[in-house]
Amino acid sequence: MAGALRGIFGYCFLVLMVRIAGRRPGKQMAPFEFVLIFFMGGLTLTPMVGDDQSLTNALITITAIALTHFVIAWLKQVSPTFGRVVDGTPLVLLSKGQWQIDTMRRMRIQDDDIMSMARDQGLKSLEEIDYAILERNGEISIIPSKKSGN
Amino acid sequence: MEVETKPVEDSVPKINNEVAVGEDLEFQRVWWKVERAIWIFFLLLIIADVLGAFGRGWLAKAHRISSDKSLDITYERIERFNTPSILRINLSPAIVHDGKALLWVSDSLLKGLGNQRVVPQPETSAIGQNGILYTFPVTGPTMTVEFGLTPSSAGTQELSFQSPGFEKTKLKIFVMP
Repeated sequence: MAGALRGIFGYCFLVLMVRIAGRRPGKQMAPFEFVLIFFMGGLTLTPMVGDDQSLTNALITITAIALTHFVIAWLKQVSPTFGRVVDGTPLVLLSKGQWQIDTMRRMRIQDDDIMSMARDQGLKSLEEIDYAILERNGEISIIPSKKSGN
Repeated sequence: MEVETKPVEDSVPKINNEVAVGEDLEFQRVWWKVERAIWIFFLLLIIADVLGAFGRGWLAKAHRISSDKSLDITYERIERFNTPSILRINLSPAIVHDGKALLWVSDSLLKGLGNQRVVPQPETSAIGQNGILYTFPVTGPTMTVEFGLTPSSAGTQELSFQSPGFEKTKLKIFVMP
């Protein structure tokens, strides 16, 4: 039982930590952020397993984590508020030539991060962007302006 | 079999009436406040840990002298589960008789606090009265006994020490999970 409870606690704790640490995974992930993810994962592993290194403990813990994941996904579906707590909402970073300074500062995102995504879409300057949106999964969506020709 | 469908509704809020984003700044501002409170909590947590509030630090270290000064105990009032530590007892010369010192310890030293070793090696150890009575050979003017603990269960453990004929000393040790 302890293994299952430790697994559920570890999963929920990591979800909270990743949520608090900031929404910059995926393409926005810089090398130092990889350190964060791997370090957290590694440090969580030992206390989750404890002194029980049996196959039973591993199977039970994995099953408990999968079940917790399912329950969280289901709760996100039935409760939009819970979904916002777990994933946040999309946030506008740039709108029609105006940086959303407060949002960018609080989300710890710089204009370079947005330009990096714009270059990924073949855009050459910030003027060619109509909207930049930080998505719930941490990606930055770029909507080019009509004059950019994209 | 009929497949369930429903018509598409343009329910996602738009910015400038052209891009459906679904931004909820009102919620986000509340979340940023929660986030700030959590960061402050994390900071306090780390400071408390560095000071030893969760074991292995200055606040966790404790020292107790029995009322009749027969035992002088240095220990950690906050231990951590499955993590080794040392509990040290200086025995008063008054309890030494015929080159031997007797020390009774409650069985929670073994059960909850997981005593792994005793230094020096006791001459004898007898189980009884909800504990163990050790007999140590005393060779010098002072006598120090060390117990190597590795707690095997979390929670509060009550621990007692006594040399026969002297005051009993009780300790409470909290084991962090």
